[in-house]
Amino acid sequence: MNAAVTAPAGEALPPEVIDLLNSKDGAAFEQALDTMVRQREQHLFRALGVLARDLHGAVTRLGADLANEGMPDSMINARKHLGEVLEMSAQAAHRSLDFVDRIRPEAEALSQNATAVLDFSRSETDPAAVLARQAQVFASACSEGLNDMVLVQSWQDLAGQRVKKVVSFIESVESSLLELVRLTGALAGREAPVEVAKVHSQDEVDRLLSEFGF
Amino acid sequence: MKILVVDDFSTMRRIVRNLLVELGFSNPLIQEADDGNNALAMLKANAFDMVVTDWNMPNMTGIELLQAIRAEPKLKGMPVLMVTAENNREQIIAAAQAGVNGYIVKPFTAVTLKEKLDKIFERLAAKGASA
Repeated sequence: MNAAVTAPAGEALPPEVIDLLNSKDGAAFEQALDTMVRQREQHLFRALGVLARDLHGAVTRLGADLANEGMPDSMINARKHLGEVLEMSAQAAHRSLDFVDRIRPEAEALSQNATAVLDFSRSETDPAAVLARQAQVFASACSEGLNDMVLVQSWQDLAGQRVKKVVSFIESVESSLLELVRLTGALAGREAPVEVAKVHSQDEVDRLLSEFGF
Repeated sequence: MKILVVDDFSTMRRIVRNLLVELGFSNPLIQEADDGNNALAMLKANAFDMVVTDWNMPNMTGIELLQAIRAEPKLKGMPVLMVTAENNREQIIAAAQAGVNGYIVKPFTAVTLKEKLDKIFERLAAKGASA
């Protein structure tokens, strides 16, 4: 180390570090450097240790809460309610489609009957002919309206897809919570259970938690 | 023409069927499947002329179904129309690369469905004529 080290502008190094860097004693330099690195590492490990302990404590408390009270009711209810929304909206859409299926042939029959009346009509001012023409206009408007009504029912599919996404998000939060509890069990030295598959029912949730004595 | 309508929502299957009938396709020749797996089994077991499929479905998605159809020697020429709420660029490109014949974003109208179907049949006719 030939050139004397000076502190770079704006970054004042402690005098002992500058002395060390300028020292000609290589062994003392290495030793001092090791000590500094070790000190830094110890600070880091202590901070990590505190974090890990806090996390472990929080997850253990969560596990105990889950074991005592089960998965929060609000979460289970949220999924259930969304499932009901999906079912009810599908039912409503099907009822509308049933209505279309029922009315469409009637509109077609009305149009055909009106045409038959017009074919036999002797004059355009014949009241039956006037009524038949009105019936044709109505039947045609009715068919168009029914077609629009069918298309509009696709809202159920679009809304349903969004509802399904929210349901699967809630499921993934539940699974993550349980996985966290499982990991804490493993960290605490308990035997870790076999891989957690998807948990579908409250019974499965409770069974899983009981493996950890929760 | 025998058509297979694939969607996990029964409402949507019914709407597509309704529209196809309105466009002049025969109601009894339209069949339905609620996911890609069932659709693929039906396509292998029976002769269909066209598939109209959704994208988002459990077990096997629409894009997986499309890929499976293109990979199956007996089915690879089957026209596939995708009717989906997925409108992001990557997915549309993925469908195009997988060999989709048409792509309709929900919600759609009967006019759009007719346009896309006409285009599919025009292309197939041109391909058939040049072959």
